[in-house]
Amino acid sequence: MRGELIPKISKDLCNRMLTDLENARRPVLEAIKCSLDNARYSPKVGYLTPGDKKVQTELNVSSVQKMSRAIFLLEVLLRNIDTGAVNTKRELYYIAKGEVKHDPHLKPLDFQDQSESDAVIDFICEMLECYREDLNCYANDRGGQTYSNQLVVTETLPDGTKAVVDLGSLGTSPFQPKNRPQSLKLKAKKKIDFCLVVESEGTANTFVANGFCKRNNAILIGAQGVPSNAVRGWAKLIQDQLKVPIFFFGDLDAYTIQNIYRTLKAGSAASLIRNSDFSAPDVHFLGVLPEDIKKYDLSDYPVKESDVSEARALKKAADALKNDPFFQDKRNKQLSKLLEWLLKNKRRCEQQAFFMVDPRDPTMPEKIIVEKIKKGIYL
Amino acid sequence: MAKDKITSSSTAEYFSKNLQQVGFSSPTKAVLTTLKEAVDNSLDACEEEEILPEISVQIEKVGAGTLKNTDLIRIKVEDNGPGLSLDDVPKVFGEYLASSKFGRGRCSRGQQGIGISAATTWAQLTSAKGVTVTTKTKSMRQAVQVQVAVDIKHNKGVLKDKKEGKLKSGHGLSVEFLIDGRIQLQGEGGLITYLNGTALVNPHLTLHYLLPEQKQVTVPRVSTECPSVPPATEPHPHTMKLGEFIAHSHLFGRINLKAWLKKGFSRISDNSIAEFVKNGMDKKLVDTSVDKISESHFKDIFSVIHKTELMAPSTKSVMTIGEESFSKSVRRLGEVDFFSVVTRKPTICDYKPVAVEVAVARLKNLQKSEGQEDGPVQVLRFANRVPLQFDKSACAIVKAIESVNWRAYGLPQPKDSLPVGPYVIAVSMVSPFIKFKNASKETIDASDELVEELRRTLIQAGQRLSRHIKKEHREQDLENKLRYIEQFCPILVDCLCRITEAPDKRKKKATEGLEKILGRDLSVAKKELKEADIAAKDAAAKGKIQIIKDEPESPAEEGIAEDSDEVVEPKESKEKGGAKKAKSPKAPKAAKKPTAKAAAKSSASKEKSAS
Repeated sequence: MRGELIPKISKDLCNRMLTDLENARRPVLEAIKCSLDNARYSPKVGYLTPGDKKVQTELNVSSVQKMSRAIFLLEVLLRNIDTGAVNTKRELYYIAKGEVKHDPHLKPLDFQDQSESDAVIDFICEMLECYREDLNCYANDRGGQTYSNQLVVTETLPDGTKAVVDLGSLGTSPFQPKNRPQSLKLKAKKKIDFCLVVESEGTANTFVANGFCKRNNAILIGAQGVPSNAVRGWAKLIQDQLKVPIFFFGDLDAYTIQNIYRTLKAGSAASLIRNSDFSAPDVHFLGVLPEDIKKYDLSDYPVKESDVSEARALKKAADALKNDPFFQDKRNKQLSKLLEWLLKNKRRCEQQAFFMVDPRDPTMPEKIIVEKIKKGIYL
Repeated sequence: MAKDKITSSSTAEYFSKNLQQVGFSSPTKAVLTTLKEAVDNSLDACEEEEILPEISVQIEKVGAGTLKNTDLIRIKVEDNGPGLSLDDVPKVFGEYLASSKFGRGRCSRGQQGIGISAATTWAQLTSAKGVTVTTKTKSMRQAVQVQVAVDIKHNKGVLKDKKEGKLKSGHGLSVEFLIDGRIQLQGEGGLITYLNGTALVNPHLTLHYLLPEQKQVTVPRVSTECPSVPPATEPHPHTMKLGEFIAHSHLFGRINLKAWLKKGFSRISDNSIAEFVKNGMDKKLVDTSVDKISESHFKDIFSVIHKTELMAPSTKSVMTIGEESFSKSVRRLGEVDFFSVVTRKPTICDYKPVAVEVAVARLKNLQKSEGQEDGPVQVLRFANRVPLQFDKSACAIVKAIESVNWRAYGLPQPKDSLPVGPYVIAVSMVSPFIKFKNASKETIDASDELVEELRRTLIQAGQRLSRHIKKEHREQDLENKLRYIEQFCPILVDCLCRITEAPDKRKKKATEGLEKILGRDLSVAKKELKEADIAAKDAAAKGKIQIIKDEPESPAEEGIAEDSDEVVEPKESKEKGGAKKAKSPKAPKAAKKPTAKAAAKSSASKEKSAS
């Protein structure tokens, strides 16, 4: 775990810079290039990993402001690590502004808006090859509300004490996983058959209310759109610690496959350095599949190309087929074929369409899902 | 058989019902068009007689208009031109299509003889009075004032109330319209924009104007050279249609084809006639009299001529303002910081001679007013030295400006749009045959050839300008670098030393090292500035770009001034010397690009979506 090494790595880095300056050499800060053109994919690894490309920032008159800001914020973050304080990016923006306010010499560093300080924080993470959570900078926990009658979570708190949460005792209230789920230990009270990640938070709620967790020995997660760090790390934890099969159930459209599902399974290009802990390579795509539309006579409808977001999703999907190493890999041929099918037919079908199969049976979607899992109808 | 009787109506009747087609589509446009027609006529008349024009314009509200939401407005324009004989007055002001310029192929402002008669009609329709004209020619002993009305039924002017009149100069013409309208002073369709634009492309004009709620303004001439409008050349056969071609032959009486072709057209020689014969024209026809040639033969001759390559039409019939006069005139736009002017050689676009001139200037007063720096540049369009003020987006000139990559010259520009900044781009196009999109002459039709010619001129002006802008950017760069070194060096070293808990000794050494590193960058920046400075000075020495120093060289060149303070003509300034305002000793420096912006840009590009 790189997190504990942060203070040492930072100190070494600053020391190198200082030595360079003493010798009138230009210090160079190096960070991994986090973009699709530097993303590699191997099915053996299972997630997108960084290539050799680095972004180098050499100290000169133009970059002196950026470097000064980076070292200034690094000092603030190291202090947080030292004292155990945590902050969000927005709070750090105001902390930086506060520092400037109290020391007029720092005035030139002042951030005009949060996007500037956010960029510096991201730069520090890329430079130290760590997560921002390692620097005690947390995003708000979003998505991943989890329901299960079998799962027990043990959280190690910063002071070393442990908190045990039995999800079965929460009733219909969900468990909210953390953005840094590495401090959690999972245990199953009884054998868990599968884990289902539902794209729509609302549909996951409906399933629970209709008794999904009573009837199935399963873990049910609501993803809430593009999976956050919390959802991604949580899925990875379930995969690694419980070794249960994970299925993703969402809409059949380009955005879901290319963005939501790919991010859950293999991480994203923007987070190349953290995909190892924030992706669940064993997750399967359960549906909606084109064959489900046929089999259950589901209502689908054409993609509106006049709609800006839908047109953009199609364009991104076409780009992904060309440039995304995940979709180019042979092992993911079924997924790239599915994307091609979507691009060609320009149709989409929503996950909620399963409710039309038997409108009077609220558990019909659940029945279909369980049947699909049993019969192995997934990608 | 049609139930209703078919009647014919006069041209005046048609225009009186369709005044919107000739610039009277709204009360605001009515005022501007009336003023424009009167001023255009004055300038054309002065040019014909080679008189240096001095025009006074007075516009005032005199009450409420009869139409909804309008005022009754008096527009008075007086010139020192040759004046009109009383016989010509009703024709000029009261008769449509009565013109001395129609179809002559010259670069005069007016062409058809519609505008001023339309203004009289508008006055007659809205205030029940025509136009009051006061005229005095050199041969008249006394100026005469008459009322002219349009006899709409018969397309004729009618004179009324003839009496003795008064004019400021020994000869000239004064017109006074009382019309319903609304006054708009500023903005694209504003009266001030029109008057300043007119002054810009007519360096030889002295203009006095008094507008409502404004002080009297005098724009003195900056050139004493009266532009001579070159005579028209004969038409080029490739620009004609068959009907026109045949009709053209009727103007020459009994003359053989060979002589007619040589005399009646430009660019046809004995050689080209031999070429026509070679390309299939009947040899017998060459010596036949044109009045004996049948229509079908004309058709054959016409198609052979069109098939044969001829020399492009002559460009002698177009005129230009000239870089020197235009440069002087640009300074009348306001407080100009620097500018470049390009006059291209006349060329042929769509078989018609065209001359394009461009001035790009940066204005100091635009920089000062807030928000202007981020707005699009001000575009001044001129066709035959008349400002065009409406329907900007469809105009060939705007299309050409948008097609140029101004970013290369240091002007920010959103994609496919006008560049941004406190600049004025003035484009003047002169041609005896300008293709307008409408009868009110507001937009130039954008043919590919014309847009390309305009584009080339703009590019040339942009290139000239860029030398100075680049120098400014380098200056800015150096200034930023100096500031950065001063500000960030101590912070960076302090932070590094605190994190590494380094002793003061290391801190001192690191500070020295850092200063050394950044000093190297600085000397590079200094070198770049020096190079840019040489390039800019070189451009200025060659007259490609003109930079206005903070202190004007001579007050006479300062440009537009209000009588009460910065009066241009020394005489007038003495009259009201007490009201002189203190001038700021130094004009503000060039527009500075905030460095934070650049930094934000670079950091934004780095920003990753926080999942």
